[in-house]
Amino acid sequence: MTAPPWLELLDDTIRACAAHARPDLAQRLRRQRARLLDPALHILVIGESGQGKSQLINALVNAPVCPVGDDLTTTVPTFVRHAESPGATLVLDPAALTPRTATGALPALRRVPVPIDEIPRQVGRRSGAHRDAELVSAEIGIPRKLLAAGLVLIDTPASGHPHTRPAVDSLAALDQADAVLLVSDATHELSDTELTLLRRVAATCPNILVVLSKIDLSPRWRQVAERNRARLDSNGLPVTLVPASATLRLEATRTGDAALNQESGFPNLIGLLHQEMTGKPDVLARRSVAVVGGSALAQLVVTLREQQAASDSSPASAALADRGDVQRAIDELRRRSTRWQTMLADDMADLVSDVEHDMRDRTRKILREVDRVFDDADPVLSWDAFEDWLAEHLADAADTNFAWLVERSRWIADRLAQYFPGRPGGETSAARLVFPEDLTGGVGALERPRLERFTAGQKAFTALRNSYGGVLMFGLITSLAGMPLLNAISLGAGAAFGGKGIKDEADSRLKRRQAAAKAAAQRHVDDFFLAVSKDSRDTIRRVQRTLRDHFTALAEELQQALVEAATEARRAALTEAAQQERRQRQAQQGVAELVALHQRVQSLAGQQAAPQHHGSLEISA
Amino acid sequence: MTLDEAVWGALNEAAALYRGNPRATNWLGHQLERFAEPVRIAVAGQQKSGKSTLVNAIVGEQIAPIELSDGTQVPTWYRDGAPPRASLVTRNGAAQDVPVDRVDRRLRIDLRSWPPPQVERISVDWPSRALRGATLIDTPACPPSAAERLAREADAVLYLTRHLHGTDTQSLESLQHPPLASAGPVNAILVLSHADELGASRIDALSAAKRVARRYRADVQVSPLCQNVVAVAGLLAHTARTLREHEFGALSALAGTPRAALDGALLSADRFAGTDFPAAVSQEIRQELLNRFGVFGVRLAVTLIRTGCHNQAALTAELVQRSGLAELRESIGQCFTERREVLKARSALLALEDVLRMEPHPGAARLTAHLERVLASAHEFRELRLTAALQCGRTTLPDGLDLEAQRLLGAAGTGVHARLGVAEAATGSELRQLAVDVVDRWRVQAENPLFTARQRQAAATVVRSCEGMVARLVAERG
Ligand SMILES: Nc1nc2c(ncn2[C@@H]2O[C@H](COP(=O)(O)OP(=O)(O)OP(=O)(O)O)[C@@H](O)[C@H]2O)c(=O)[nH]1
Ligand SMILES: Nc1nc2c(ncn2[C@@H]2O[C@H](COP(=O)(O)OP(=O)(O)OP(=O)(O)O)[C@@H](O)[C@H]2O)c(=O)[nH]1
Ligand SMILES: [Mg+2]
Ligand SMILES: [Mg+2]
Repeated sequence: MTAPPWLELLDDTIRACAAHARPDLAQRLRRQRARLLDPALHILVIGESGQGKSQLINALVNAPVCPVGDDLTTTVPTFVRHAESPGATLVLDPAALTPRTATGALPALRRVPVPIDEIPRQVGRRSGAHRDAELVSAEIGIPRKLLAAGLVLIDTPASGHPHTRPAVDSLAALDQADAVLLVSDATHELSDTELTLLRRVAATCPNILVVLSKIDLSPRWRQVAERNRARLDSNGLPVTLVPASATLRLEATRTGDAALNQESGFPNLIGLLHQEMTGKPDVLARRSVAVVGGSALAQLVVTLREQQAASDSSPASAALADRGDVQRAIDELRRRSTRWQTMLADDMADLVSDVEHDMRDRTRKILREVDRVFDDADPVLSWDAFEDWLAEHLADAADTNFAWLVERSRWIADRLAQYFPGRPGGETSAARLVFPEDLTGGVGALERPRLERFTAGQKAFTALRNSYGGVLMFGLITSLAGMPLLNAISLGAGAAFGGKGIKDEADSRLKRRQAAAKAAAQRHVDDFFLAVSKDSRDTIRRVQRTLRDHFTALAEELQQALVEAATEARRAALTEAAQQERRQRQAQQGVAELVALHQRVQSLAGQQAAPQHHGSLEISA
Repeated sequence: MTLDEAVWGALNEAAALYRGNPRATNWLGHQLERFAEPVRIAVAGQQKSGKSTLVNAIVGEQIAPIELSDGTQVPTWYRDGAPPRASLVTRNGAAQDVPVDRVDRRLRIDLRSWPPPQVERISVDWPSRALRGATLIDTPACPPSAAERLAREADAVLYLTRHLHGTDTQSLESLQHPPLASAGPVNAILVLSHADELGASRIDALSAAKRVARRYRADVQVSPLCQNVVAVAGLLAHTARTLREHEFGALSALAGTPRAALDGALLSADRFAGTDFPAAVSQEIRQELLNRFGVFGVRLAVTLIRTGCHNQAALTAELVQRSGLAELRESIGQCFTERREVLKARSALLALEDVLRMEPHPGAARLTAHLERVLASAHEFRELRLTAALQCGRTTLPDGLDLEAQRLLGAAGTGVHARLGVAEAATGSELRQLAVDVVDRWRVQAENPLFTARQRQAAATVVRSCEGMVARLVAERG
């Protein structure tokens, strides 16, 4: 025998739940599977208090097995099933009253057989509670044709009543139910709380009948039935509503009144139950799977879609972001390299003029000093000392100037390095500059000027020349006075004139020597300046070249790295996009598979579709 | 100073404090008016719990419900007043008179020209003795969340339910107002409505319903939420009070039919209204009887006529008695109208708190605190609190003393006779003697060394109640 299609679909659904990491759902579906394969049909009778649930069961089996009362009566779920001979069992839970034993083990449930007519007293509200254990459910066996085929009726405590313990709330037993009868009496229309209950039930168990009970009491039950049907429809609950009266049914079986039996609505109700019974392996199971499988799949799809949405909205992927960064870095590098090159050129030009100016300034100061010295001193006497002094001062000036050049070059190198932040090469670049040890190497020694001395002959000559003039001039004057040309006065004057002539001659000679010394020093300093500034220029040019080469290399290196990174990023982005696409395709495929499965599962319900619930609507959209 | 005077004084003082504030002054003005009015009782409950029917039953006339043009209801206030008059209060607070009319013995108000969303509430003046002691508010079904507002507008609440549901206990819980929670359930009666259906319309349905009510009264979950639980068949009560001659005639005709023949026809509503009927009562009338009495009402009325109610007045009286309406009216008297002072004081305190919340003012805060102290120490409140504590077992007294204590505290009525548990016929001197004896007995209990401090305190409160009685009796003689 091949498995029915609903079973295959249910198994597929269970597998899907397991595959999508929802063992909880899978577990629940497995329980449902076991229940659906069980030939017995479990019918859960639920409703609010005093609606006639217990009496309905009594009327169905025509025996007062369930307690009936005006106030809250039924306290625990009561299972009514077929048995060869009448009997009842109480199921007691000792753990409820004796909190866990020291070992933590829970004592097992205890089953106590009782006479069937004890049940109403035990299950009813004022039951003589068992002192050491709590009653959790009751089971009743009774020989009835209706039950023989495997029908199990489950009476439940009232839902919503403040005295109903949550643990025994009818919804707790919902997983075990193949079908649900909601009992609501005909003296009122379905209340909001009953509708809420129905909606909750429909999400788990699609096979619902609403029994409109106590129709014997309500003159308006037909209107109520109509209004209820309309209300159920408008709430998306297309369930069958069956009017019935347990009182009339019991009276009819007592008196054998067929017309009354018909009026009780029970033949209709039993017919529907039979239909469910025979339809269980097919219609009912299909409807159940449609709902429980459908809702499980809907949950899976929703989770999957949420995950998908989350990954879609996450920032366009790291690789892509990287790629953008790299491109920006390259652009930036380009912008910078023009900037640092202009800066290097400008700075170097500035440096040349600054260094030259500085050197000129220093040499000028030296020359002024030279002038001052040779204004008084006689170069003949002090030349050697002067030579040393000048050489020392020039060397000093050149050194200082050179040190300044070095410093400025370093500073420029540092400034350039700022264009390459984070590059270790940037900072060390200045250190790599190579400077010559000595700049003044190219200048020759100070040339000694030709200095004329005032010899004794030259002195005598000068004295003679001057005294002759004096004799002559005074002789002429005195001769006018009658004296001879050579007289005492003119000779005296000649002597005086001769002495002065010698002195004058010596002075002018010193001056000439001094001028010559100054000129020599001037020439020397000029030469020195030219040599030094040429050296400086050369050095600066060298520095500029070094710097340019260094930073160009650095920039190239950087650019190279960036280009590589860009390529890498592009490659990563491509692979990531491919991966994402693959993932997305997989997810979409997963969703599509689930949706397809969902549709197949839903189609199990056939035309008279199971009650719609949120999940199904959302995911078929 | 009585409680009344204290509250009146506090309200006036508050009005003086807020003189410059039109909003608060207006609100306090309403409260002063409200203080002088009869107790306001809201009739509340879930949909179709029988609220409007119960209002009709209490008033004895068909005045509820009043439906808007779309069939919905708004809170409708019924006050004593002649001539009949109705005014409609719109959402923006404006009041507008609307014409009233009596058609086919029922109140009709033409609201067709009023768009339902605009109407906030309707206020009806209706000449009725039943409304003299209390204003009734017929409310539309409200969710538990709206119950608190109800508790502020009304001084007391009749809460109706057919079968107790979690939503009902929730609503009742939100009626308990926190500041006075310690005062216990001072202002609610739980009504098990449709009592005939609660007992499945069996002929003993009403006694079954009364048994259920008694059980809830002692229930630990329910008793802290209300002062009393009463089962009432509102439809039956209303029909009985408005019984018409031809109805009595038809019922008598039914009673005259052989029992065996009629029983089959009374098996179900369908059979009773069917074409094949053993008695000479037209189908139309039978249908009308069903609508007016319900299946149970017809069964009961027929049985009563058969067993001795041979005239309309006797039938009316018996039906009203059995319907539970008499018990309800009595309970309303004991719990609400006789305790008007306490209920009004409670409402005034809530109102002062409201005004304080809306418009904070240091003087008013002091005033509220003062009033709260006055209330908490008022003997009337102590009585209520102790009664509640005894009823729900928070305080226990041995040997049936607790039942006597409850009676003396006024749980069964605040009149001297009810407190002492003697017949109305008892004379002044008998009462005085009895009261003095009781005081002496309870004085001993108040010093009983075997009691806990709490029990001695309870006994002292009882002594204080008895002393009050003695003082009243002595004053009456003098
Ligand atoms: N007239 C009439 N009364 C009914 C019918 N079914 C039940 N009743 C009465 O309704 C009341 C409540 O019936 P139960 O069967 O105890 O109701 P339940 O829903 O099981 O109540 P809980 O166990 O308390 O939740 C009892 O008094 C029954 O006699 C009916 O069909 N017709
Ligand atoms: N059998 C029976 N029927 C009643 C009783 N009280 C009210 N009804 C019926 O119950 C229905 C609703 O009664 P209402 O009084 O309109 O109830 P309500 O609570 O005012 O309803 P809403 O205002 O619509 O929530 C009507 O058909 C009444 O005839 C009662 O005590 N017994
Ligand atoms: Mg039951
Ligand atoms: Mg109403």
